[in-house]
Amino acid sequence: MSATLEYQAKDYKSELKPIWCPGCGDYSVVQGIYRALAAIGRPPHEIAFISGIGCSSRIPGYTTAYGFNTVHGRALPIAQGIKMANPDLLVLAAGGDGDGFSIGGGHLAHLVRRNMDITYIVMDNQIYGLTKGQLSPTSQKGRQTCTSRFGSLEEPVNPLLYMLAYGAHFVAQACPTDLAGMAAIIEEAIRFPGFAFVNIQSPCVTYGEEAQQMKGLKAIQESLKALGHDPADRLAAMDLAQQYGTKMHLGVFYRNPEPPATYEQLVRERQAEQMKNAAPRERILDLFIKK
Amino acid sequence: MPVTERPKPSLVPEYCKGCGRCVSVCVKGCIAFDDEINPATGVVPVVIDLEKCNGCGLCIEACPEPYGLRALDQGEDYELQDPAKLYGARLSEAPEPEDIPAQRIPLPACQPLVIKGNYAAALGALLAGCRHVYGYPITPSTEGAELMSKLLPRLDGVFLQAVSEVATVNHMYGTGGAGLPCLTFTSSPGFSLMLEGISYMAGAEVPAVFINIMRGGPGLGNIAPEQSDIKLACRGLGHGNTHAICLTPSTPQEMLDLTILAFELSFKYRHPVILLADGYLGQMTGKVQLPDHMTKPGIPKWAVYGDLAHRKNLINSIYLDEHDLERHNEYLCGKYEAMQAEARAETFLCEDAELIVVACNTPARAAKGAVQELRHQGLKAGLFRPLTVWPFPVEQLKAHLGPGRRLLVVEASAGQLEDELRLALSHAGLPVPPVAHVRRMGGMLPQQDQIVAAATAILA
Repeated sequence: MSATLEYQAKDYKSELKPIWCPGCGDYSVVQGIYRALAAIGRPPHEIAFISGIGCSSRIPGYTTAYGFNTVHGRALPIAQGIKMANPDLLVLAAGGDGDGFSIGGGHLAHLVRRNMDITYIVMDNQIYGLTKGQLSPTSQKGRQTCTSRFGSLEEPVNPLLYMLAYGAHFVAQACPTDLAGMAAIIEEAIRFPGFAFVNIQSPCVTYGEEAQQMKGLKAIQESLKALGHDPADRLAAMDLAQQYGTKMHLGVFYRNPEPPATYEQLVRERQAEQMKNAAPRERILDLFIKK
Repeated sequence: MPVTERPKPSLVPEYCKGCGRCVSVCVKGCIAFDDEINPATGVVPVVIDLEKCNGCGLCIEACPEPYGLRALDQGEDYELQDPAKLYGARLSEAPEPEDIPAQRIPLPACQPLVIKGNYAAALGALLAGCRHVYGYPITPSTEGAELMSKLLPRLDGVFLQAVSEVATVNHMYGTGGAGLPCLTFTSSPGFSLMLEGISYMAGAEVPAVFINIMRGGPGLGNIAPEQSDIKLACRGLGHGNTHAICLTPSTPQEMLDLTILAFELSFKYRHPVILLADGYLGQMTGKVQLPDHMTKPGIPKWAVYGDLAHRKNLINSIYLDEHDLERHNEYLCGKYEAMQAEARAETFLCEDAELIVVACNTPARAAKGAVQELRHQGLKAGLFRPLTVWPFPVEQLKAHLGPGRRLLVVEASAGQLEDELRLALSHAGLPVPPVAHVRRMGGMLPQQDQIVAAATAILA
């Protein structure tokens, strides 16, 4: 992976014109991704961009990377399959809050456990936009949507706290209110050796509430750097993450200063160790025959 | 295998409560009380010294705990057992459960409503007494869930947006097991995800109604209408020997009527029922006349409702003994046989028809127009519209078959309806007449002029 200055943001932009609603936060997210990828400089054919289903899951199509718009909630298992098939690829996964924390919620803990070098970008807008405005797992309690006419009775999930508790080694949050900051965070997440999670507060202009639009988000945003937060301090990160939904902290909550080996590294080590004194391939079935 | 040696006891300390019955029966004095607390259970198990043991087995006999002291040759492992057998007849003071029958409540006459198919099905469910709806948003079915979220809280009911279709079907397994009518609205990819649960519900005989507003596939496909889940609903309801009645409406009115029927059938047979509609039917607005009564559901006697009256009931789909499971499968097959009586169809100008157009759901609407147009041209065409694709109404079709009669299957799938038709004819031992077809896929529907052209080519 040699960083070159050959690539510019526009090289990662595909010919397809996004069909998101005008003003959707996801336009900025894809811009942030172009910039981050340009800064990293891997050629587009060495990048695999995997998504689930939802408005935000259209995002791979708007890049020149290899894209895979997969099954609802299954972006992460499919991304893992791709990473195992070709560990040299830069694997990005993306989707929305419903895709990631509702139908796909069960997969998160296990990718964190495996710690494959995959960057997962969630465009969290607290609503199901593609199906026209239903309750999402991050919708705040009491939120009225067309499937919660009298207000939701459920507490929202806190994705940041989830990921920290699962033991993720890189957890960050960004927002289109700060595009340069978002691009930098995405870049840092991709560069992090191991699983990295970036929650992006991406407002839904069509079904989102007033307070969740850019103006409202700007009012509650606070840079973690400005707060003097030390990203190596996991407990402090968890403290700050508890304010998800009331405050919007931007930046890196937690970055493990000593990232452990990734799953694919361990797999390679295991293979090397097992192959050291292994019988020739044509004799491998002998292992099954009792002597 | 002949026993060559008498078995010596083996103690599983986690199950021993230290009651000491084994201590008092052992003639050799091998077993003694101990004073060490077992950290897993907090009680003090006995200790065994097998040096003097002659394997008399008295201690094993004396042990009241099913897994405390066992013969050593059985090992410390134990196999999974059928819960119904493991605990024997379930002891309860409760009386034998009785059916609490559903009640019919008359409704005042009212003007017809003009509503979407999805809303009509939702109203049908409410009138059938359904107060529990689970669902996950998926176009083009979501309006049903949305209406339920608005209406159910005012009717003492529950709408819960599940985290996925996998969760949805299992919420339904729970509510259906309690003996209450429950429903989901979904569309093809979501229905795929529910199949495992439907298989469990069929095995455990749990009623529920699944409204599948079919959309274009395979995979993500699109959100336009298709009929390509007929195969799934008729032949592929999860693993095991499963079938379920599949109703196929073709108007908003039928979305309501057949949803009500679906609830009746699901409780009559204690089995899931599938309502197969297509994307247009879900979204189509039409005139809907409400029925003259609604239903207040009762509680069937098999329900595990969670009160004393239903204490004796058990709902499961596990039969570890092969003989038992075969018997259960035979019983289910008997039920599928009985469901054949529910086959329904509507015919239009079939009596003298030389060409019978077979179609259901939205394609049946174009087919009806085509039949009328063909009649105008003096060509003898008729429409046979199955209201159930499983069981296929082959008896009703039989009446219109005969020498010189032909069939034209019109469908929005790659021959899934035709497969059901051919299979049904074959099972009924009927000769298959010449079958032609008009098929569209991917969200495109058969058009009236296409059907007319295909029919004219056959008849003229």
